[in-house]
Amino acid sequence: MRRIAIVGASGFVGSTLVERLLAQGQDEVLPLIHSSGNAMRLARLGIDLPAVDLLAQDEIDAALQGCTHVVNCALGSADVIVKGLQNLLSACRKHKVKRFIHLSSVLVYGDPPPPDSVHEDARPFPNDPYGYGRLKLQQDRMVQQACRAGLPSVILCPPNISGSYSPFLVRVLDALRAGAFGLVDDRKSPCNLVDVSNLAHAIELALDRGTANGQRMFVTDDEETTWRDVIEGLAPVAERTDPVPVITREELLSLRTAHSTPSVSVMQSLKHLVSRDVRLALRQDPLWAKVEQALGQSMTRLGKVVEERLRLAIAGPPSVPKVNRGPQYNMHVCLQQLRGVRHACDLAKHELGYKPLYTFAASMRAFCAWYRSQHGMDTGSWDLLKQLY
Amino acid sequence: MPKPFRLALVGAGMVTQSSHLPAALASDKVQVVALVEPMRQRAEELARWYGIAPVIVPQVQDVLGDIDGAVIATPNDTHMRIALTCLQAGVATLIEKPLASTYAEGEAIVRAGQASGTVVAVGYMVRFRENILLLDDLLKAGYFGMVRRFAHQAGTIGGWTPMSSYNLSRKATGGGVLVVTGTHFLDCMLHFWGYPDDVALADDAQGGPEANCVATFRYTSTATPCEGVALYSKTTELPRGLIIETDRGIVQVADTDEADNLVFRPHTHAQVEHVVRRRGTPPYPQGMSVFQRQLDDFVDACQQGRSPMVDGRQGLMSLRLLEELYTRRKALNTDWYSQMPAKVAS
Repeated sequence: MRRIAIVGASGFVGSTLVERLLAQGQDEVLPLIHSSGNAMRLARLGIDLPAVDLLAQDEIDAALQGCTHVVNCALGSADVIVKGLQNLLSACRKHKVKRFIHLSSVLVYGDPPPPDSVHEDARPFPNDPYGYGRLKLQQDRMVQQACRAGLPSVILCPPNISGSYSPFLVRVLDALRAGAFGLVDDRKSPCNLVDVSNLAHAIELALDRGTANGQRMFVTDDEETTWRDVIEGLAPVAERTDPVPVITREELLSLRTAHSTPSVSVMQSLKHLVSRDVRLALRQDPLWAKVEQALGQSMTRLGKVVEERLRLAIAGPPSVPKVNRGPQYNMHVCLQQLRGVRHACDLAKHELGYKPLYTFAASMRAFCAWYRSQHGMDTGSWDLLKQLY
Repeated sequence: MPKPFRLALVGAGMVTQSSHLPAALASDKVQVVALVEPMRQRAEELARWYGIAPVIVPQVQDVLGDIDGAVIATPNDTHMRIALTCLQAGVATLIEKPLASTYAEGEAIVRAGQASGTVVAVGYMVRFRENILLLDDLLKAGYFGMVRRFAHQAGTIGGWTPMSSYNLSRKATGGGVLVVTGTHFLDCMLHFWGYPDDVALADDAQGGPEANCVATFRYTSTATPCEGVALYSKTTELPRGLIIETDRGIVQVADTDEADNLVFRPHTHAQVEHVVRRRGTPPYPQGMSVFQRQLDDFVDACQQGRSPMVDGRQGLMSLRLLEELYTRRKALNTDWYSQMPAKVAS
């Protein structure tokens, strides 16, 4: 019998995988969690949920005792992502684990990804502003190195994950409901998705199929889904009466520029330092209050004209922003429409015999059924509850 | 000035760290004389963090002669044992909610309190919020009209992470999200409207503590029949709050410790809402946490020989309701894919 450890078991993918493996009843399943707060989805099953700190080598060593297979679904801080994986791989090698399955992300190819990232052999180039893709690529390389050192490993690379409990679909739905989603309706905006059960199924296949040579494999629903399909799929729970705003690719690109993080500027920092809010905060401290008072007096001695010129030179004229009459788009969600590439799961199909269990349509219906239940939309009191949104 | 109330904090876990100890240190009515915690290092770190030097002991028996009262903030299934030890020694207890993990255990605590003439208070601190106090007054006065329906919900992904992880054990908690999250509202509901005539529960527990539940309540024997629903989740973010529908409009009650007002939307004017706030001196000084209000009330109750705002009998009523709900529970559907006709392979 296989003894399968699922690291990060309380997360979205981990929980789904544990539920499926337990239902199949063929393996000894060891769900490992980081802390109890997020683990109620699994706790409701009445199973043991050992907590393991991936940053503590001795803890992970002890936890993996007797494990034949390990699946890494863990998330966390940059430290946990890198150092935690290093500890995990070390423990896997120590225990001579037969197979290690690691979850990567399509963000390793960048955001937006290059056109040739239809297939896995495109050059990874993570450039997302949150640095997540870079960390995931670093992880992939660590796993590949461990694989070369003798740990049979499979790297599965999902895009956005859909289905019941999907945080991605909840984000899109929230934006849709808030009027913060604009659809780039040029019929060229693919939405790469994998249903969470399809992904869990791919993990199950990877436990004993394929060559386990550390190769990265896309896992998707293998359908030509567009963002319009996603928006239409969410319609039963979106409760929108007005049409979804349509936005052109060019408009979205210009909004991206407007929302981009400002670059480092000494002048800008100086402006912040002399701003009223900062000075008010500093005045709470008696020493800074005295310094500021002394500076203020020195400025006054220079005369009003000089004082005003100095202030204008540093802080600039007051900025009066234009009133925005249009929708306030959720850029994090909307910009995903510009990714453009449709990742293919041919390699997973060939290597693992992967075939999606659920269609995109079924996945969306499952999400909507889950969402309706979780939000009390079928309780008869939804007319009251929705006033809290 | 009266002598400070000598307090022991039993349990040096999350709620003591974040709420009970700061409340005790902020109060001029109490002196923290003891931390009771079997994991000594945890208690020492806590004392060091706050710069205090209480006695640190592994069990409450070790300090019974030196304290006037104890805050019991330990896993639910340990409340009875610790509370009985205190009460039998004449030490008053403020017990974190719920009073105990079963009705029978709660009953034993209340009986012990009555036998020794000692205060038993239950940590339903939501009752000390300004908006809840205001709502209580206005509901009693019929300010908003006759209540027809109500709905309360709260949902978080993760959140409360007790150090002992006892929240993952049905035995230790006496339930799941209904106990951990929902019991505060159940206590308020019982306080506002009394015990319901009919209840039902659907939850997703399969041997462990439930992560999601929907409870329904019906009041049929009162002068103004009404019904309500309570929805709790540990897997989904749900905006917290209470909505009450009356014959005159909708009352929205924010579910936060800081809220001091209610919002009323009359049926006759859907485009307007009234923010209802108490005039004059607020019932508590600005910045006083609900935990300090609760602790001060407990101390005053002990020193003045009166009942605390939430006493053992009220805590017992909540346990009765929780047990009745769990007795009547039905399973929530959790197999979202089972009726999917578009399954393409297996």
